[in-house]
Amino acid sequence: MNILEKLSAPDMISPGISACVGCNVELTLRTVMRIVGENSVLAIPPGCMGGVGVVGWDKLSGARVPVFFPLLTNTASMLSGLRLAYDRQGKTDTHVVAFAGDGASVDAGFQALSGAAERNDRILYVCYDNEGYMNTGYQRSAATPKGAWTSTTPHGKLQVKKDTPRIMADHRIPYVATCSPAYIADLVAKVEKAKANRDGFSYLHVLTPCVSGWGFPPEQSIEICRASVQTRYFPLYEVDHGQYRITVDVPKPRPLKEYVGRLKKFRQTTDSDLAEMQTLVERQWHELIALERATQDPEMARAG
Amino acid sequence: MSHVEVMNGNRAAGIAACLARPDVIAAYPITPQSSVVEFISRMIAEGKLDAKICEVESEHSAMSVLEGASLAGARTFSATSSQGLALMYEPYFRASTLRLPIVMAIANREMISPQTLWASAQDSLSVRDAGWMQFYAEDNQEILDTLLQAFRIAEDSRVLLPINVCYDGFYLSHMSERVVVPDAEEVDAFLPDGYDPEHIVLDPDRPMAVDPLTNGDLLTEYRAKHLAAQQAALQVIEEVDAAFSNAFGRSWDGAVEPYRIDEGCQAIVVTLGSMTGAGREAVDRLRDDGEAVGLLKIRAVRPFPAREVREQLAGVPAVGVVDRNVSFGWNTGIIYQEVSSALYGVQGTARIPIISGLGGEDITVEMFEDALRKILVAGRLSSERRDETPETIWLRQEKEGGAA
Repeated sequence: MNILEKLSAPDMISPGISACVGCNVELTLRTVMRIVGENSVLAIPPGCMGGVGVVGWDKLSGARVPVFFPLLTNTASMLSGLRLAYDRQGKTDTHVVAFAGDGASVDAGFQALSGAAERNDRILYVCYDNEGYMNTGYQRSAATPKGAWTSTTPHGKLQVKKDTPRIMADHRIPYVATCSPAYIADLVAKVEKAKANRDGFSYLHVLTPCVSGWGFPPEQSIEICRASVQTRYFPLYEVDHGQYRITVDVPKPRPLKEYVGRLKKFRQTTDSDLAEMQTLVERQWHELIALERATQDPEMARAG
Repeated sequence: MSHVEVMNGNRAAGIAACLARPDVIAAYPITPQSSVVEFISRMIAEGKLDAKICEVESEHSAMSVLEGASLAGARTFSATSSQGLALMYEPYFRASTLRLPIVMAIANREMISPQTLWASAQDSLSVRDAGWMQFYAEDNQEILDTLLQAFRIAEDSRVLLPINVCYDGFYLSHMSERVVVPDAEEVDAFLPDGYDPEHIVLDPDRPMAVDPLTNGDLLTEYRAKHLAAQQAALQVIEEVDAAFSNAFGRSWDGAVEPYRIDEGCQAIVVTLGSMTGAGREAVDRLRDDGEAVGLLKIRAVRPFPAREVREQLAGVPAVGVVDRNVSFGWNTGIIYQEVSSALYGVQGTARIPIISGLGGEDITVEMFEDALRKILVAGRLSSERRDETPETIWLRQEKEGGAA
């Protein structure tokens, strides 16, 4: 089946949810749920997708699969409970899916996320990372990069972004991947792997640039996503049973300025800030190459 | 056939939980509750209990896991204490407002600070308005029996609310005494079917959106129904106790238990939990001295059995409430406030607040005798004087060479 056929699967989200114009999170959610399909239960914690009405009313609005609001803090734990109950009832084919923002994943919800990953509970967890609390007025989170304006870091954030996909990979769960709405075929392949994973926890981390909170024109939404990958700011890779693999190679990266310079949230960024960011991006890429090499041996991967 | 075992309160709670055949258990260890989760883990590991257990990283996740499981239709159980209960407050409140019949034992322990490990109902009473039902047990048999009753009360379609069975840490959790353990078949007959929700469920075969953003008029309707369910539970508690009595030959008198209360009673002491034993003994001693005294044990704090409390206490010259907890801002204990509310408008009944046994300090028979005599004195005041607000009595043990 080619990618277009896969994407013609039924849309599990009703039309007319009230996301901002140009929102690539909505696109990501629809894509993920087309692939996951109807035998699933969807957790939407407080955040953008909760705010725009994905937890709807009786399938007339919102999601067309059973959907609920976990707390900001307990998405993964509630899914652990659903998983245990379904396994006990023999509903082992029912997917329990989280679609949670970075606040609900890397900040307040991180303890529950880490706990469920350590237990290796069979959950498909998607974090849409718009680098802050975009739904409540653009406040800082641990996923906000250094230097970025938010409503609580008016002079730019002082600390670097927490590298959550790497932290999740270090839980040694069966599947971790980073994804981008600009690379739909790559996203679909990763959702399929996560869906097929019967060995335990799957974690997908999607960078979802925010039109409203970051400051760029809606029609550039996908271009910005692509620039985040092509500058190596957000590398696309997977960690499949311990084996790292860069899935979208960027042999000739664009200068980071071509991404940072298009975002109002980095308007205060100086040349020296940019140089520092460029260094971090390069280091991150080289670490990934090293991890890819170090985990290539399948024997090592199994042991890992 | 049932059998008799000597066991501590935590084991009684663990056995009751296993007899109820839960589908999913999640609990995080905390003193003095830990041996409950240890016992259940062992039962599952040894194949004696067919259930799923989630080894959670916190109490917050323990309650969250049970909410997910309960939304999928699982019968669920947990146990906690004190700081653990405080940590789980966020999902705790939500378990009741989602109307999930989760059962949770609480081995009562003081809230810090100062740093402490020992008994007080400060932990569970502080969350009495979070929408759960709360029972308080006097001894280990009552822990086991009340937990079995709790599943049936919680899952009753007129109720559908989560429930705590609380018991004093160490005094009961770690104290061994004789307990009659019913057979699994007997319990299966009393508590037959697994929980099968119709009102709220997450199931692809019965799709619904659970808990969308809800405006105030609908929320008000939910709250009204929740409050009504708490009131309906008072009747269900009576019915379940009657059914339990039929099945096992033991009754716990529903939401309150009167002890030696009669027409001529001049003073009544109100108790909660394990202190009640010493209270009964003191009542017996004063009765032997010719004093007309009695005791009222509160079993259910939520729903609060206001009518029964009023029927038992109104018209008695003086009532004292012994609280092993405090109500900050009221200069009394919490149960005192509850009892006073139930007695609103009653005239000529003095109401004495007594605080004792905080941080696990013993409340001895002698202290209860002292309390009863003070209550008797208050009852001899003129009717008008009895209606005045009395001073709180801090009842403490005399200690050699130290502060009282």
